[in-house]
Amino acid sequence: MKTSVMKAIALILSADAELIDILGVTAEMSIQSSVFALLLGLPIGIWLGACRFPGRNVLLVANRTLQGMPPVVCGLLFYMLFSGVGPFRHLKLLFTVDIMILAQVVLITPIVVGTMETYVSGVAPAVRETAKGLRLGGLKTFCLLCNECVYQIISAYLLAFARSIAEVGAVSMVGGAIAWKTNVMTTAIMQYTNRGNFTLGIALGMILLTVSLVVNILISLLQRRLSR
Amino acid sequence: MKIHAFSKTYDGRTVLDFPGMELQPGKIYAVIGANGSGKSTFAKILAGVLKADRKDIHLETDCVGYMPQKNYAFRMTTKANILLNGRDVSRAEELMDAIQLRHLENKRADRLSGGETARMALARLMMKRYDVAILDEPTAAMDMETTSVSEDLIVRYVREMGCTLILVTHSLQQARRIADEVLYFHKGKLLECGSKEQVLYEPQLPETRQFLDFYGV
Repeated sequence: MKTSVMKAIALILSADAELIDILGVTAEMSIQSSVFALLLGLPIGIWLGACRFPGRNVLLVANRTLQGMPPVVCGLLFYMLFSGVGPFRHLKLLFTVDIMILAQVVLITPIVVGTMETYVSGVAPAVRETAKGLRLGGLKTFCLLCNECVYQIISAYLLAFARSIAEVGAVSMVGGAIAWKTNVMTTAIMQYTNRGNFTLGIALGMILLTVSLVVNILISLLQRRLSR
Repeated sequence: MKIHAFSKTYDGRTVLDFPGMELQPGKIYAVIGANGSGKSTFAKILAGVLKADRKDIHLETDCVGYMPQKNYAFRMTTKANILLNGRDVSRAEELMDAIQLRHLENKRADRLSGGETARMALARLMMKRYDVAILDEPTAAMDMETTSVSEDLIVRYVREMGCTLILVTHSLQQARRIADEVLYFHKGKLLECGSKEQVLYEPQLPETRQFLDFYGV
């Protein structure tokens, strides 16, 4: 165990080519998917939190259900849609980073929507009443609402990123964990452990834990700032 | 200017039934009544924050400013909060001086105390001239000194701008100090309306007399 950890540290310090490739694919997938999820989830979350309309509760229940969707179910759905017998087979996206990003967006957008909706529904009535009382326009009210949510937006992004980087079920199904192409940290850890190559697995595990630690520290700092 | 008749019903129960009235420019109308008498509902409907049963026009103007009972301070400085309602920096500074907020101009407004937030909200509203300004218990969170300062500012604003001010208040002393006219609400109905001398000192109805007796007027 001790030897494996030492070897893993040496592998990280030597900037092993395969390790760098895995980190690159992981960064590409998790950053892009979390940015898309934020762009999609942010307006939906604010809309659900700030507006009252018939059918809102149905949408909230649907979003909560999607938040709890098992990643393998999402992977299965995308596999069926994009495989050789699926309706989108002509796009030839299966086993590419693009479909991994797409599957991740479906998985993490509900997290952004839920986080934003919960926060916005708390502050929106007071913001709206004050803005309406001052006869501020709709756009200015929306900007003020976004300004009130700025830390929450960053927090929602970090949550989405953390979920994306640590996900394994969906990405392994639709990405195929192909070395030098679609292998990300989580799928690589699984693959190398199954092969008995613990060194690369431990090295990736250490990096993943470090990233998770940094993200969680940032979330804690933001939450402390929010509660002040 | 006229307020048209309107009503508000929740779950089949009428919480407010207002018959309509004329408003005179340059006058302060104090709205008094016990808890749940419909004062805040009246203010919110006039401000357009709450919808009445029928979507008619209740006030013959769109130029209405409203300061709610629970004031919201946006996550920015006190001065920036005030400047949300107008770009005239000298006006904002003049208002902050008048309401004793100048020393807090660069402090985050969401970290102000309740009384300071209320003063900030009052200054923010007064950045503009409104045909009708509606204040819902503006001094409820303030101490005696700042209440007095705020009342002076309210009176000056009305006289200088020539607007109509509707002041929802729990304080009969405040109504006596600054109001010209008084509206007494009881169980969602406007029971008495007239000059403050008439309503506060010579009420016509036993309900009004009972309410005033309770508060020792």
